Amino acid sequence: MQEINAKVLSCEPLCAGLTRIILHAPEIAAQASAGQFIHMLVPDSAHVPRRPISLMAFDRQAGTLTLVIQAKGRGTQLLCAMKAGDSVRCLGPLGRGFDGQGAETIYFVGGGLGVAPICGAMDSFATATSRAFFGFRGAQYAYGMTQAPCPVTAVSDDGTLGERALVTKPLLEAIGERRPDLIMACGPVPMLAAVQAIALEQGIPCQLSLEERMGCGIGACLGCNVKALHADGTWSYKRVCKDGPVFEAKEVDLRG
Amino acid sequence: MADLSLNLCGVALKNPVIAASGTFGFGREYDELYDIGQLGGISVKGLSLRPRTGNPPSRIAETPSGMLNSVGLQNPGVESFIEHDLPWLLTKNVAVIANITGTSVEEYCKMAEVLAPTGVHLLEMNISCPNVHEGGVAFGVKPESVYAITKAVKQFARQPLIVKLTPNVADITENAMAAQEAGADAISMINTLTGIAVDVHKRRMILRNNTGGLSGPAVRPVALRMVWQSAQKVNIPIVGMGGIETGEDAAAFMLCGAQAVMVGTANFTDPFACPRIVRELDAYCQAQSVARAQELVGTLQAY
Ligand SMILES: Cc1cc2nc3c(=O)[nH]c(=O)nc-3n(C[C@H](O)[C@H](O)[C@H](O)COP(=O)(O)O)c2cc1C
Ligand code: FES
Repeated sequence: MQEINAKVLSCEPLCAGLTRIILHAPEIAAQASAGQFIHMLVPDSAHVPRRPISLMAFDRQAGTLTLVIQAKGRGTQLLCAMKAGDSVRCLGPLGRGFDGQGAETIYFVGGGLGVAPICGAMDSFATATSRAFFGFRGAQYAYGMTQAPCPVTAVSDDGTLGERALVTKPLLEAIGERRPDLIMACGPVPMLAAVQAIALEQGIPCQLSLEERMGCGIGACLGCNVKALHADGTWSYKRVCKDGPVFEAKEVDLRG
Repeated sequence: MADLSLNLCGVALKNPVIAASGTFGFGREYDELYDIGQLGGISVKGLSLRPRTGNPPSRIAETPSGMLNSVGLQNPGVESFIEHDLPWLLTKNVAVIANITGTSVEEYCKMAEVLAPTGVHLLEMNISCPNVHEGGVAFGVKPESVYAITKAVKQFARQPLIVKLTPNVADITENAMAAQEAGADAISMINTLTGIAVDVHKRRMILRNNTGGLSGPAVRPVALRMVWQSAQKVNIPIVGMGGIETGEDAAAFMLCGAQAVMVGTANFTDPFACPRIVRELDAYCQAQSVARAQELVGTLQAY
């Protein structure tokens, strides 16, 4: 975990609604693993909380981090409006990422903005028999498929890319053909809940990357909770920033 | 270097910068970034007699120059703190302030009793948390109940007792005076201001608890006013907080009458905020040719 002034190498539109930012952040890249995030200061002092942003890719040699940001509110708009040469304060890498060690076949599932951390997981853990399933609203929202290290099946809400279907449809078909040892997923909560249900039903180990509004980003403020179930039937809140953002599917109750 | 040290109710602090309760956990996470022994003190996450699960997510919302939180006092309970966190904290050469909360006067008294034989340096009684439905703030609104609970807890407290006041009242100075009269050793202010955040697209509340507590620079002018007004009315020490981001902000609270300050939300914006504020306060004192930071306290020129 390092707090650094990262230099913006590029900041460009990736697809409709999303901006791709490449940062020079060698201290963070050196320690990063797939599924981790950085806590970015909005370059305007009126914005008090930072923005947790997942790593889409990291390159230890080049010392770079690749991020995808959706300009939703004023803070993310300001981050997306940065220019090459700007610098931005970042704390990271933070959190517990994906772990694909020892899995022979992994099915990766991403939805919308959640495709970004899944691309990072694929770079680290894709195997010859692994496959990926991406869901987008439509073709103009799609990204992350050209340099994928394993075959990608994309679907869309409007039918402009692949089948008009939820991403769980091709996932279920693929599971029917070949059962994976592990599923990794990131995306909107309804998608995660559907993937979680499939994994639990079929007894397939599954890791979900969650999102929550954050304060400190390092586990001190308890601002980013998710309901975690214990083996004895009890539950408690865990911290998305420190105990996650990646959790075992059987461990979390996504309804809060 | 200016002399930043002070004596807060008989406890020696190396400087007046204290991490505010609820933003700093028990100090472990920030200690991975810097030695928390650089700070004057740490007010730990609000403790209760039994563990509390806190409120469901989402607990945080951004607001203009600030944020709302509705954590709801999630904590492992005072016994767990004493067993697992306090021994470590006491090795850190920093004043440890146990922030306590309860749902009845008896519970607050019991907390003070349980903490009495420990190495905790100060107690901070939170009677001002807006994020729990039962108790908490109920004791902090009316001057009579501030008086009653302070008086009761004082009988069990072995460490100096700081009473933390809520700004969500008509006249905070009445509560400051009530705390002093009941024997409080100091007061701290302000806790968060109750607010809500609206998601207009979904047409629903952002916080699952509906309401939350506002903190950060947005509340600073209100906090300064309340510290300044209270300092006119009481002579026990005041620990000031609310939106402090820089050494000059800390100095402003001291000029208004605060002996020490607490830094909360700024830790989120800048994880190194607390040690930076210590350095900046030192630089401010030097620029003002003030040899001892305590010379600043209450010297604000008002019209
Ligand atoms: C996430 C969060 C949690 C808090 N939890 C507590 C708490 O447990 N006990 C307490 O007395 N105050 C709590 N507070 C209030 C702060 O200690 C402080 O009074 C308030 O935030 C104003 O200071 P600031 O603007 O520097 O944050 C909390 C504040 C925040 C932002
Ligand atoms: S954001 Fe503070 S604990 Fe996760």
